[in-house]
Amino acid sequence: MAGATMAAAAGAPAAAPGPPWRQRLRFFAAVLRARPAFALGYAIVALVVATGVLAPLIVPYGPMVADPNVYLLPPSWQHLLGTDGTGMDIFSRVLAAPRVDLTIAMLGTLVSAALGATIGAIVGYYEGQRTWRTALSTFVMRAADVLQAFPVFVFAIALVAVFGQSVRSIVIAIAFVNTPIYLRLMRGQVLSIRRLRYVEAAYVAGASDVAILLRHVIPNAIAPVLAQLSVNVGWSVLLTAGLSFVGAGVVAPTPEWGSMIAMGFQNVVTGQWWPSVFPGIALGLTVFGFALVGASIEVLADPAQRRVLSGSLR
Amino acid sequence: MHLLRYIGRRILFVIPQLFGIILVSFFLVKLIPGDPAVMMLGPTASEESLHDLRDKMGFTKPLISQFVRYLHDVVRGDLGTSWQTTQPVTEDLFQRFPATLELITFGLLLAIAIGFPLGIAAARLKRGPVRKFADYYGLLAGAMPDFWLALVLIYVFYTKLNWIPAPLGRIDMAVVPPPTVTGSLVIDSLLAGDLDALSSSFGHLILPVLTLGLINAGPILKMTQSTVERTLASDFVRYAEMCGLPRRVVLRQAIRAALPSIVTIVSVLYGFLIGGAVLVEIVFSWGGAGQYAVQGVLNADVNPVLGFVVFSAVLSLIIYLLVDLLYFALDPRMRG
Repeated sequence: MAGATMAAAAGAPAAAPGPPWRQRLRFFAAVLRARPAFALGYAIVALVVATGVLAPLIVPYGPMVADPNVYLLPPSWQHLLGTDGTGMDIFSRVLAAPRVDLTIAMLGTLVSAALGATIGAIVGYYEGQRTWRTALSTFVMRAADVLQAFPVFVFAIALVAVFGQSVRSIVIAIAFVNTPIYLRLMRGQVLSIRRLRYVEAAYVAGASDVAILLRHVIPNAIAPVLAQLSVNVGWSVLLTAGLSFVGAGVVAPTPEWGSMIAMGFQNVVTGQWWPSVFPGIALGLTVFGFALVGASIEVLADPAQRRVLSGSLR
Repeated sequence: MHLLRYIGRRILFVIPQLFGIILVSFFLVKLIPGDPAVMMLGPTASEESLHDLRDKMGFTKPLISQFVRYLHDVVRGDLGTSWQTTQPVTEDLFQRFPATLELITFGLLLAIAIGFPLGIAAARLKRGPVRKFADYYGLLAGAMPDFWLALVLIYVFYTKLNWIPAPLGRIDMAVVPPPTVTGSLVIDSLLAGDLDALSSSFGHLILPVLTLGLINAGPILKMTQSTVERTLASDFVRYAEMCGLPRRVVLRQAIRAALPSIVTIVSVLYGFLIGGAVLVEIVFSWGGAGQYAVQGVLNADVNPVLGFVVFSAVLSLIIYLLVDLLYFALDPRMRG
């Protein structure tokens, strides 16, 4: 992800020696040195993704196995994070959850970004030309207005209800509510880029609309979309957890942070905090990590930052 | 005059949008599987009585004519009946919206009280612990699930310290609520001079408001910080500094110039929270409008969901109009 972004940022004169990828790597390292928080973000994301992939190998107990003899045990060496009201091991469940949460969030976000960015690029490219295409652009933008005017959470729950409660429906809901964000973002980018000289030059040279969009406009417009993508995965994890929390998302024994927090709700009131608190920390850390990575991409893609850092200024 | 024309244009512009919102939500909600007639009469009802009820509720007509009828009713202020509460939706919403508005208004006030000063402090200091704290706070606040924070606060302040009453509803069952004036129980009991009701409703309000305040301070902080920072680097501030104006005066000017964008983020948050505070409402059994809508979706109760969407759309419209009025007060360029 970061590599592609820096490709977009690589417009500055090459002062440093070495092949381009090496300069990019050096720049990346410089950014991480200047802002250690970003390194923390990458570490968290790597950790969460790794747990998601490796969960079945590293969990000490079956994440869906309830042992009625050990319900609501506080954290101990046997059960690192304790057990919940049905006797499932919370540590195992917290580790197994990214598999569900991240898959849903990433799929939903990717679909919305692909959809939104494509439509946004086309709409932005054709806007203002005096043809039927302008009318279409206006219509698309008004439709996006309407979609964004909905209360997000109620809209998402309704979508899940329409498509039936399943992982696929949550992905659809996430894709739906996020598409207008990318549509707007990409449109704004394309609107400003299509006026630039090199786009005009390509047009004059006889390049087709598709070629101009694909080779000249989109590569230069993609950086903010990538930054948004990372932040958005975090939000989508929050949305997934929220849906599961009210019972409209992932169903109970499946390990998922939001539904774990909901399961521990009653226990918290009576004093057993661990069934809810630990999944919440995992959830918050994940979103935090993705937000940091998003922020770092913004910096990496900013040519001004590049100049500051290659001059080894802080 | 200028202002009136502006507002008029704004409303004209919004009517098609409102229509679009009702259109989309109507067909979306109608797509939700589940037969209200079966849910109302129970699984043992005869086919005949089910058919009668569906007929009575207009479900046997084509969707288009159902939609036209719904629009017709909405224009007259009739949002239909909820089969769960068996009450008119308009009435239900008038009961529940004040609860939500009380919650999010106080929540956002707290968020401003935290985020605004912190953002200004962070914008002034480029380095140091305050800046660092603000940076992390902004990111962490956006990352924390509000329903989880609510639970943690309940654990600390109710279960452990027992400083607040049980987190159920807006006021103790045993306390008589004050006569409704503003719809906010805290303000109403203050107006009525009812100390029992005041302490009870305040005790119930404090944790959900703390939850919303702590989390929504994040975006306010970030917005304040970035705009004040940008204004502090702008030409007119540099000019003021060159003229030798004292730092305090310059800062005040910069903050004033940054106010419109802060008002914008607050209004966006307000519009978002009308439906976005629903998880906090559920945790605290607040009985707000968002909770009502979610119950509607989960039980195939169409009218409350639609009513909620219409209500919140109109409400955000009012908020954005108020914000425009504020812009006129804050930004001299708008008056020109």
